[in-house]
Amino acid sequence: MIKITNKDFSLDDLYSNIKSHKNGAISIFLGTVREDLFNEKETIEAIFLECYEDLALKQLNKIRAEAIHKWNLNNCIIVHRVGKISLGEKIVFIMTSSPHREESIRSNEFIIDQLKTKAAFWKFSQYGDDLKIVGAKEKDLEKNLKWKDVIKN
Amino acid sequence: MKITIKYFSWIRVKLNKSQDLFEIEENLKFKDLKLFLIKKDNFFSEIFSDDSIKFFINFKEIENEAIDIVDGDELGILPPVTGG
Repeated sequence: MIKITNKDFSLDDLYSNIKSHKNGAISIFLGTVREDLFNEKETIEAIFLECYEDLALKQLNKIRAEAIHKWNLNNCIIVHRVGKISLGEKIVFIMTSSPHREESIRSNEFIIDQLKTKAAFWKFSQYGDDLKIVGAKEKDLEKNLKWKDVIKN
Repeated sequence: MKITIKYFSWIRVKLNKSQDLFEIEENLKFKDLKLFLIKKDNFFSEIFSDDSIKFFINFKEIENEAIDIVDGDELGILPPVTGG
């Protein structure tokens, strides 16, 4: 299941979608809006997420299929919000299930690292009435690169 | 023929619009489309010289500038992504 939505979502509902007696492990990544630690003068109120939806769905499907294939997952759910998201609210949710923990944990980290650098979403920070573009981070590119050899094998 | 161009992030903000619909001549390649757009607005020369920006035709990344552009195509102009 892949979903791009401008609404908040229930963790319980998503969990009920992945429950299965075949699962021995379920891993969850939940990204939320945090205060901007690098800007002490201004307090972030929210973020705004923009998306090229048709392309992002295609990219997320590809990432999900790679993860399921590589780690032989039972299931995988990816949900990404768009629009205005307030401080502390959910942005992105990834849930992976497998018979054993290593596969669910590794694949979950793979998915968020890929999503950060390959899926067509753009973030803005909101300070009062001002929207500031959030720039891409070098460390996200480095994290993505570490999976190159893993996916090759 | 008609093509749609979609803008995102700082490019959308700078142009103050999220898309354009252009009427262009038939039998163009992507490299010709670039010249057409630069002629329309010199801002595109900044976009096309920025290595961090990616170009997609109908949701497929352009790897060869000799690719044909046909009626109804959608060009997406994408700065580095920052989701998650």
